[in-house]
Amino acid sequence: MIVTRRAWLVAMAIVLTAMSPAFAQQQFNWQQAKGSQLRVMLNKHPWQGAIEPHLKEFEALTGVKLVTEVYPEDQFRAKVLVELTSGASSIDVFMSMPAQEGLKYMRAGWLQPVDEFLKNPALTAPDYNWNDFLEKTRDAMVIEGKIVGVPIQVENASLMYRKDVFQKYNVKVPTTLEELEAAAKALNGKAMTDDGQPGYGIVARGKRAAATSTFAAYLHAMGSTWLGPNREPMFNNEDGVKALDLYGRLLRQYGPPGSENNHWYEASSIFSQGKAAMYTDSNALFPVIEDPQKSKVIGKVGYALFPRGPKGQYGSTVAVWGLAMPKTSQNQKAAWLFMQWATAKEQVLAVQSEKGVLGARDSVWKDAKGLSKVPADLRESLTVGSKVGTPLWNPPVVAVAECRDAIGAAIVVSIQGGDVRAADNKAAADVKRIMAETEKK
Amino acid sequence: MIRVSKGRRDRVNPWTYMLLVLLLVPFLFPLGWMFLSSLKTQVQNTAFPPVWVFVPTLSNYREVFQKNPFFTFTVNSLVVALGSTGLALLLGLPGAYAIARFRRTGIALGILTARMAPGIGYLIPWFILFTKAKMIDTYTALILTHLIVALPLVLWVMMGFFEDVPGDLIESARIDGCTHWQAFLRIAIPLAKPGIVATGILAFIFSWNNFLFSLIVAGFKTRTLPIAVYSFLSYEEINWGGLTAAATVITLPVLLLALLVQKHIVRGLTLGALKG
Amino acid sequence: MPVFTGPSVLAVTLLMAFPVAYTLYMSAHSWFASSLTSPQFVGLGNFRRAFVEDDRFRNALWLTVYFTGLATLLQLMLGVAIALVLNRPFRGKGLVRSIFLLPMVATPVAIALVWMMMYNPTLGVMNYLVGLVGLGPYKWVSNAAVVVPALVIVDTWEWTPLITLITLAGLATLPIEPYESALIDGASSAQMFWRITLPLLRPTIIVALLFRAIDCLKTFDIIYVMTQGGPGFASETLNVYTFQVGLFYFHIGYASSLLVILFALVLGVSLLLIKVRRGAR
Repeated sequence: MIVTRRAWLVAMAIVLTAMSPAFAQQQFNWQQAKGSQLRVMLNKHPWQGAIEPHLKEFEALTGVKLVTEVYPEDQFRAKVLVELTSGASSIDVFMSMPAQEGLKYMRAGWLQPVDEFLKNPALTAPDYNWNDFLEKTRDAMVIEGKIVGVPIQVENASLMYRKDVFQKYNVKVPTTLEELEAAAKALNGKAMTDDGQPGYGIVARGKRAAATSTFAAYLHAMGSTWLGPNREPMFNNEDGVKALDLYGRLLRQYGPPGSENNHWYEASSIFSQGKAAMYTDSNALFPVIEDPQKSKVIGKVGYALFPRGPKGQYGSTVAVWGLAMPKTSQNQKAAWLFMQWATAKEQVLAVQSEKGVLGARDSVWKDAKGLSKVPADLRESLTVGSKVGTPLWNPPVVAVAECRDAIGAAIVVSIQGGDVRAADNKAAADVKRIMAETEKK
Repeated sequence: MIRVSKGRRDRVNPWTYMLLVLLLVPFLFPLGWMFLSSLKTQVQNTAFPPVWVFVPTLSNYREVFQKNPFFTFTVNSLVVALGSTGLALLLGLPGAYAIARFRRTGIALGILTARMAPGIGYLIPWFILFTKAKMIDTYTALILTHLIVALPLVLWVMMGFFEDVPGDLIESARIDGCTHWQAFLRIAIPLAKPGIVATGILAFIFSWNNFLFSLIVAGFKTRTLPIAVYSFLSYEEINWGGLTAAATVITLPVLLLALLVQKHIVRGLTLGALKG
Repeated sequence: MPVFTGPSVLAVTLLMAFPVAYTLYMSAHSWFASSLTSPQFVGLGNFRRAFVEDDRFRNALWLTVYFTGLATLLQLMLGVAIALVLNRPFRGKGLVRSIFLLPMVATPVAIALVWMMMYNPTLGVMNYLVGLVGLGPYKWVSNAAVVVPALVIVDTWEWTPLITLITLAGLATLPIEPYESALIDGASSAQMFWRITLPLLRPTIIVALLFRAIDCLKTFDIIYVMTQGGPGFASETLNVYTFQVGLFYFHIGYASSLLVILFALVLGVSLLLIKVRRGAR
């Protein structure tokens, strides 16, 4: 058959159109899993609160019905774990923090890697752009060489402080741990609430396992870390003990009474009611602290990089929440559609600009709309923190809950003024034992 | 009530009333505080010293009902409580009767022993079973686990009540040609009715209040009220107004029930003790 | 006869005997629950580990005994004392009894949260109230040293009425003769109480003690909701610890052995009390 000039032109036109993004987008079949139903497990978290109003958009786009279940964090983790353990779970998508549970889940064979989904143009929209995600967030989704989820937000351990209080009493915003303690001491007991009542120098979590996450920042800033090169616990070395001592001392001397019982709910409440000058915790709490309905410190809070240690070490930890898919899901195609929709640029822009959720996409951080709700210093500290930070806000073990409890117990001892070195050594011994028991391959 | 007062038999000592008030106040205070706090705003709730006089607001209740499917939780609690109570009575009444009539003290001791075992011991195996059978988050599973508490209760208390049924009545009925069942249904049950009411109410209350079993076995669809209240401890920080409003809503039904049928409940609770 | 007890027995067997058998079986195994590994037989290894190596267990055991001892003692004294007051003549007994019922029937989870609120170290009304009489402020459940007494207060508030009601019922069945002869002999109220009432009440009181002891040893709701065993592990009784090990860490085998130990403890205490009661008769 002779290809006429006309036919050639038409062919070229078709090829060019097919290559154009708009056409490609139309070509991507969002409806390919139409009629299925997804069971989605969500943690009660700012991201969940921000995405919920948009869920019906997904249902309309894909014809897939969503059944979401929301639980407070501790219950959420336990529920997911329990279901996956049974081997008979019907969960299709769940919020996951691979740094916390990824290793265990991967080794147990519960996670469905999504590498193949990502590479398949029939399953992944062409403008999804995996490389648009911040590098550290992409890394956080990789366990033992496989991509096990998609990042929905990124957060750092950071220093949140009352700009007005620091200004009023002419105290320098701390950039090192030494300055942190000095500032806490200087501001403790000074008037700082709406009605001129005195407040605390600093507030932070102290509740056993929960405190481990914020303590991680202090630990790394001091120059220590959880495990050594041979996966031996090393957080009880000299620097580690110094970190533990500092953490307890800060809360004991310049923090609220009863700190050892405070989760972030209580700690953030104390800070947002104006009763503390500084708060070291995750900057994901930004929407909570600036909640127009409940906070008394709106617009007065500065978001700084977590102070550096005596040797110049950075303490920022990077934590990435993502969405993951269990291997046992019967609706993997639909689940993948949801995972990519929820993290597509449009949605990330929406949650970031509406509720101030700290999304994981570089392009959104460069978009003016994406920055509208986020103060400049937060953006800056987040960007720097995410570059220099360590993902080890948790010991990288299989039995994470148990190890967190063991380490948390030492933190409580420190807050109460007990023998820090002994407690730290005990925690290390416990972690070693737990690892030996639970990590036989 | 045997109380020998020295000759001044029927004079009520006014000091008694004072003492009573002194005793009752600490027991009523937390409940009263709960109710008061539910009517305060967040600002008033977090004030120190505490605010005693204030303008009440219903906003907490509105928030509780709007933000949470409290109606669903209540229905779940009701279904499970009624289901487990009904089932416990159905299975337990005949059993208690037989134990009382035929002096099966061995079984009685067995029941007491069952009461001693920690709830979690029952929970873990059942939980594993339910999960594998995909029965988590079903009414059936919840009712079955609540039965673990309700059935021994019914057996234990009703044993005592059935023992009170005069043996001669049963005997004469049997001589007249009644079967065991007829004697049971026509004589024992009607006579033991106050006990049945007492036991039923107690079983209902314990199921309504159950936390541990529901925590583990209930899922999103079948969440009961205690779980709902526990979930209030979330990142929405310490919303004391909402918390106490939810707490009031949950405890109100059982508190009212207790006030209405106090006599029966007291009998049920104390009988087990005296007969033991 | 089988048709009467049949269904009950069947239900009890299914519901309760099966878990007990399973727990006993698992207590001799080690199983870190994941769908890949299966239980391994370890014989008495779990028990050895608990008593010899695991000091979190020993801590839990001690706390269980401490909590139960303190709570039952307090509730016993208060309960009997209040019963004596309630036994006096006055109008409105029904109403008073109803009010006393309320703490017992109120949903424990809800009550625990309300107490948490009242116990808040900076904003709670408890510190305000004790401040009025010159005490405190205390850290209540936020402080390892006072957390157990603080929890005991909550348990006492909730369950003293049970002892009161049982004692009242017992008082109602006391015979009148000893009192009449004592009066004739010129005995005082106090003497009548200590020499007649108390000894006669002993069986009843011991039964009340038995019920409360069993329940205290197994207390879960208020501790879990208020402190989750904290601060640190300062309120982690055996029941709470077992919950963590089994349903949070998923060491099913070890948790099963802990349950066996807890049950043995409850059984031991019960048998002791039953023996004392028999002696009192």
